[in-house]
Amino acid sequence: MALFPLSSNFQGDFVFQLLPVDTENTMDEVAAAAAVHSVGKRVAPQPDKVMRVRRHSNGEMFPRDMLVQDAGLMPTESIDIIFE
Amino acid sequence: MALLPREEWYDLTRATNWTPKYVTREELFPEQMSGGRGLSPEIWETYDEPYKVTYPEYVETQREKDAGAYSVKAALERANFVDTADGGWVSILKAHYGAIAVAEYAAASAEARMCRFAPAPGNRNMATFGMLDEIRHGQIQLYFPHEHTKRDRQWDWAHKAYHTNEWGALAARHFFDDMMLTRDAVSVSLMLTFAFETGFTNMQFLGLAADAAEAGDHTFASLISSIQTDESRHAQQGGPSLKIMIANGMKDEAQQLIDIAFWRSWKLFSVLTGPMMDYYTPLEHRSQSFKEFMEEWIIGQFERQITDLGLDTPWYWDEFINDLDETHHGMHMGVWFWRPTVWWNPRAGMSPEERDWLEEKYPGWNSTYGKMWDVVIDNLQNGRPEQTGPATLPMICNMSNIPIIGKPGDGWATDQGPKDFALEHEGRLYHFGSEADRWCFQIDPETYKNHLNFIDRFLAGMIQPMDLGGGLQYMGLAPGEIGDDANNYEWVGTFAKAAE
Repeated sequence: MALFPLSSNFQGDFVFQLLPVDTENTMDEVAAAAAVHSVGKRVAPQPDKVMRVRRHSNGEMFPRDMLVQDAGLMPTESIDIIFE
Repeated sequence: MALLPREEWYDLTRATNWTPKYVTREELFPEQMSGGRGLSPEIWETYDEPYKVTYPEYVETQREKDAGAYSVKAALERANFVDTADGGWVSILKAHYGAIAVAEYAAASAEARMCRFAPAPGNRNMATFGMLDEIRHGQIQLYFPHEHTKRDRQWDWAHKAYHTNEWGALAARHFFDDMMLTRDAVSVSLMLTFAFETGFTNMQFLGLAADAAEAGDHTFASLISSIQTDESRHAQQGGPSLKIMIANGMKDEAQQLIDIAFWRSWKLFSVLTGPMMDYYTPLEHRSQSFKEFMEEWIIGQFERQITDLGLDTPWYWDEFINDLDETHHGMHMGVWFWRPTVWWNPRAGMSPEERDWLEEKYPGWNSTYGKMWDVVIDNLQNGRPEQTGPATLPMICNMSNIPIIGKPGDGWATDQGPKDFALEHEGRLYHFGSEADRWCFQIDPETYKNHLNFIDRFLAGMIQPMDLGGGLQYMGLAPGEIGDDANNYEWVGTFAKAAE
């Protein structure tokens, strides 16, 4: 259990943002944490959709229950959060 | 005593080189500072600047310029223009002075490097005047805002900005240090005078002078017009250096230096001048859109100049042209949203009429950048102002030191969204806002690899406490200095009226 910084690129938003998460967070929890900084601020909510996390560099979609520590991400690596 | 006409002595004296007796030429002009690139003194003596001036002529002209600008200021001081001007225009003045004034002193150092170390005697002569120009620009752009420090503390940032770790100041220092203070004299002549001054100070000074005159700010218009006439003279130092390099088989190196400086200049001006022209200047006073100005002054004039001299357009030219439709809109949203982190009050520029203007000038604006502003406006109209401010930091490019952004709204999902051009180098993950920013790093990683941008500093624990308050303290932004909406959110009401 450790603080782990990521870079969040949220669908519909314009900027990558620093996203501190925990290594034991699931990808659903990561998406929810990222949404705090985009949805309702510059991105309109889409409550009927599921938010998914993928690796920015190659588009690899992470399973929703995968933990951050198992995803092979580097500190500050960029992730996309997309509506599905 | 009768003076010889200039044409009878100028060419002889401006090309005067002497043969050192007590030191070697290499000691007198060390390569690291001079950048003679192994070319003989005779070759560098062929340097022929297109604009020639003598010291008496220079002093007489500069005195007239100063007298003109200072007398306009004195005559209009009691008119208290800034007290009645739109908040956006006042913000342009605050942002401009903070971003430019003290950097002029760095430019004086860069000119001094050419003045002392340039291998071409003609360059040394011109740079003497350039150095004096930049000292004048530093002084006059500190003096003019000083009268306003009685109005509020943000005006003090004309002097303060470069002495802080405010993120914009960090970005500007990184750029200007790279281009002006860490390169040999010949490189400075190409990067500072040719790429930056020919290309970009035209935009800041001519473009804003036109808007200032439209806005009725004759003091600022006369000030920056006065500066621009110096720039247009000393910007011509790079062209002759470029000719010598091309003629002696160094086109590729010259091209690379100019491509680096041009790209880095563009990124800085996208966050500084773009929002000023398209959002801060009141609609009725806008002479051209930022893109129109860029097309006229950069694409039209700069492109012609580089191709006339035998260079190619930079390899990233298509991306640059594409960015003219996008980058500054994102930078504007970023500055407005993170408004506590700047020393001026960002003007939203978001009335229904202004949005129509943006859509007209930038077709598709409403379905992209406008979508984000729709959410902001909805929050402000419905009592959720806390949703219109930041709770984290934007990721920052390790070259430009400004946020990594891209096109929002519709189209994000179809490959038009922001992109992080990451690079792992010696175990550290770097982030870049564009391929060209990453390319600058890859040319010379030794120079850049140890710099910590604002995010790196935050993650290294250098900013405490690790929240907005700690960040503002680190940036030197005290209460009374931090930015807020330039028009006190009055523009939000125009949407309710438009809907009725």
